Amino acid sequence: MELLTDSLISAILLISSLDPEVFSIVWVSLKVSGISTLFASLMGVPLGFLIAYGSFKGKRILIICLNTMLALPTVVIGLFVYSFVSRRSILGSLDLLYTQKAIVIGQIILILPIVATLTIAAISRIDERYRKTAMTLGANRRQTACVIFREARFGIIAAVIAAFGRVIAEVGISMMLGGNAKGFTRTMTTAMALEYDKGEFILAAALGIILLVLSFGINLVFHFFQGRTRT
Amino acid sequence: MLYVLSKITRKYGSRTVLDISLMEIEKGKIYALLGPNGAGKTTLLNILGFLEVPATGDILYRSKTVNFSESSLQNLRKEVVMIAQHPILFTGTVYKNVEFGLKIRHISQKKREIIIEETLELVGMSNFVQAQAHRLSGGETQRVALARALAVSPEVLLCDEPTSNLDVENQAAVINTLKQINEQRKITIMFTTHYMYQVSSLAHHTFSLDYGKLVTPQAESFNH
Repeated sequence: MELLTDSLISAILLISSLDPEVFSIVWVSLKVSGISTLFASLMGVPLGFLIAYGSFKGKRILIICLNTMLALPTVVIGLFVYSFVSRRSILGSLDLLYTQKAIVIGQIILILPIVATLTIAAISRIDERYRKTAMTLGANRRQTACVIFREARFGIIAAVIAAFGRVIAEVGISMMLGGNAKGFTRTMTTAMALEYDKGEFILAAALGIILLVLSFGINLVFHFFQGRTRT
Repeated sequence: MLYVLSKITRKYGSRTVLDISLMEIEKGKIYALLGPNGAGKTTLLNILGFLEVPATGDILYRSKTVNFSESSLQNLRKEVVMIAQHPILFTGTVYKNVEFGLKIRHISQKKREIIIEETLELVGMSNFVQAQAHRLSGGETQRVALARALAVSPEVLLCDEPTSNLDVENQAAVINTLKQINEQRKITIMFTTHYMYQVSSLAHHTFSLDYGKLVTPQAESFNH
């Protein structure tokens, strides 16, 4: 117990002293997670929308496959991407291994199914009457799709936030593809794992606090935005 | 004739929910569509509103055979508007809701403002222009849905139980509006109802459906 309280107090002091190492790690984490969430959203939201809105053969199988991919362990994704980006592999010449780009690729694979499946859920929850109302008022397929998208926007934003929450807290991909290089690919979670290995809990606790505060802040902004739009 | 439906059937799975050998609808009249729950009234309105395609049969609309391709139906939908039994309003203001159909028709901003003002006044909702749609009561929602439909100046208005779940005051307001728009704009109206007093006070003709079949093959007429 003493260890925990001592570590927490020291961690808070470390954060309040604006330690450059802590903020460099936080910046790398935010940058990598932000970019991967952006790309995953750009692909996952339209994918989820098309699957939910369209009717085609194999739709159910596709949804089952996406749901299955939700359970993919980060180390499996790390291994999979590693087999493509390691020096002697097909993309080896691009020199991606142990770079932020490699982490981004792995993280996109991790959260693309999250964004897509949660978008499918958000679209599927929209009342059928919205589609029918838009159609009877003369809307074409694209305009009707826009109505559905607009009505589902909070669910879609929630999907993106959930994906960001997943990706900022993952450790396997960042460790395997980033290599935990200080100042370059060291993220909050890989730094925490390293500090734990060293038996140093202060930096790990400081990063843990920042991670929780960030998560709380993102949710706060989302709820504030949601509340304002609905009033 | 505005509509002529011949040998129309509609099936859900193996169940035939609509089987109409002949139905004629005249322009500028008000029709009441009667029948017990599950008789096929809503399905018939969906077909008349070009929202559903019949399994078999032909529809003549304005003396032209309806082509059931999506692009053709979409054009026809610009003339026929249906108001559901429990209408739903889009998220946003009343103004945005009424504006929706007008924007689709590429009507200028200035003209849109005039039309929205006029139609909201017609249904007695002028004071709610900037109100959030999801905060309206059932009666107010019904009236805004009516304004949204009327704003696009339809040839035909199809109303699925337009006064169900409304109090007496709102029922009277909706009925009066329907009567007024029929008289002033010559809009053809078909509405479903379970209330006989509405049929006698509003409809020029009535159709009755039972198990998907027309009980009165030719429209029964009322003289007001």
